[in-house]
Amino acid sequence: MARMKFLCDSERCISCNGCVTACKNENEVPWGINRRRVVTLSDGVPGEKSISVACMHCSDAPCMAVCPVDCFYHTDEGVVLHDKDMCIGCGYCFYACPFGAPQYPQMGTFGVRGKMDKCTFCAGGPEPDHSEEEFKKYGGNRLADGKLPLCAEMCSTKALLAGDGDIVAEIFRGRALNRGKGADLWGWGTAYGKEGVKPKSDKAKEGTS
Amino acid sequence: MKRILFLAALFASANAIAAEAPPASAQDQPPHNNVKLWQDVRSGQPQFTTVRGVETGVLIQSRGETWRELRNGPVTLYGGILLCVVLAAIAIFYKLRGAVKLKAPLTGRKMARFSYFERSVHWSMAGSFVILALSGLNMLFGKHLLLPLVGHEVFSWLAVLCKNLHNFVGPLFLFSIVVAFFLFVKDNIWRASDLHWIRTAGGLLSGSHVPAWRFNFGEKFWFWIGLVFVGLTISISGFVLDFANFAQGRSIMQTANIIHAVFALMFICMSLGHIYIGTIGMEGALDAMRTGYVDETWAREHHELWFEEQQRKTAARESGTAPASGEPAAQS
Repeated sequence: MARMKFLCDSERCISCNGCVTACKNENEVPWGINRRRVVTLSDGVPGEKSISVACMHCSDAPCMAVCPVDCFYHTDEGVVLHDKDMCIGCGYCFYACPFGAPQYPQMGTFGVRGKMDKCTFCAGGPEPDHSEEEFKKYGGNRLADGKLPLCAEMCSTKALLAGDGDIVAEIFRGRALNRGKGADLWGWGTAYGKEGVKPKSDKAKEGTS
Repeated sequence: MKRILFLAALFASANAIAAEAPPASAQDQPPHNNVKLWQDVRSGQPQFTTVRGVETGVLIQSRGETWRELRNGPVTLYGGILLCVVLAAIAIFYKLRGAVKLKAPLTGRKMARFSYFERSVHWSMAGSFVILALSGLNMLFGKHLLLPLVGHEVFSWLAVLCKNLHNFVGPLFLFSIVVAFFLFVKDNIWRASDLHWIRTAGGLLSGSHVPAWRFNFGEKFWFWIGLVFVGLTISISGFVLDFANFAQGRSIMQTANIIHAVFALMFICMSLGHIYIGTIGMEGALDAMRTGYVDETWAREHHELWFEEQQRKTAARESGTAPASGEPAAQS
């Protein structure tokens, strides 16, 4: 089975924020939360580069390793999802994540954290596919329809690729060969390790196939 | 003609370039590689982004990995071992030494040891501590110990309860500590007799009698190291984590969490000793904090200098003169 990955080609990203908008529209994310964001480096000077970043769905996911209630799981396709019914809003995944993906709606009193929210790779959550509950908690489930995440699908320059890690890596390799530069895979070392292929602790739970 | 003009123009432009630009070096041209980009990505420094929020401009924050390794590794492992060792040590000590019994029979005469207010502060501190310790231990060890027993749903329900209790009871603990500090600090100041207590380890092992003032050195250690130093460290690091709405970054919260966990484990270990000696470890100790009164025999055998001081004060009050000062008179 395919191992789903995100890939952002920093040679192509023009920081249009189309992916950010697409994500919000598709998933109707809670107020104040941005599952995806575009960061521009060397802004306004020669060598300016932009990168779109969200949850990278890591192989050895730090969020999963530190969660005190063990509410994270890898789907069969390597997507990192979590169960909001179990989440206690402790903030540990947010401490551990290198990409700053986990975020919390601030729920009033002293800024107490609500249920954590992050990118789902447009794969919904543990509820039945396309159920109302699933949409309310996690947003759309495009993967169940055989579609890829909307952020990547909407990307005007095809800088942001999502899908089978082997295929997106192959596309990127071709690009790097053609242009003769920009061969670095941003964030892949951090997210997928040296092997970068298979999730380490693959433990699909009930109702999540 | 055209050709000459073109050459002249070319010559002029070449001159102009030579005049304006210093000799080309690697730094002047946009590099053909992305070294700068990768340095910026890994720097952990915020870059430009339109998304508002704390640290949204940071692409990779590497310290989270260190935090994970520390928390999931040594803090959990050695913290767990430490707790087990301390519990076992207390159990063995109780088995070998038994409770510290009173040698003389009870007199039936009671002495006031803790006022109602002092006891209230102590029990609010103790109560909040027990809630914080149990909910905190559940956050660290529950996943390994309790979750496999009760399952994800029940454990998550419990963990939500624990998290909210922990977050709301925490400030009460700090408040109690601060009040307790001002209440008890006077009697926890170093006295000459403490040196003797340290030399004989309070007579805990030998069973010999070591005179002490209102608080012996063991209690003073618990006061200064436990309550003041460790207690305040836990409270302050806990506040950093509890009030997440002050725009503090991940880095400070990662550090605070490790400090919080390490010091909390130390505090729990010390408190186990305190709870032991205050309950099953010593006859009559719990009465002092429960009722506020102790028997004169208990006072003489455990806090002899304080007992004598109180006796002198009572005698002075009864004879109508001013109470004696804290230090005993030379002839007594």
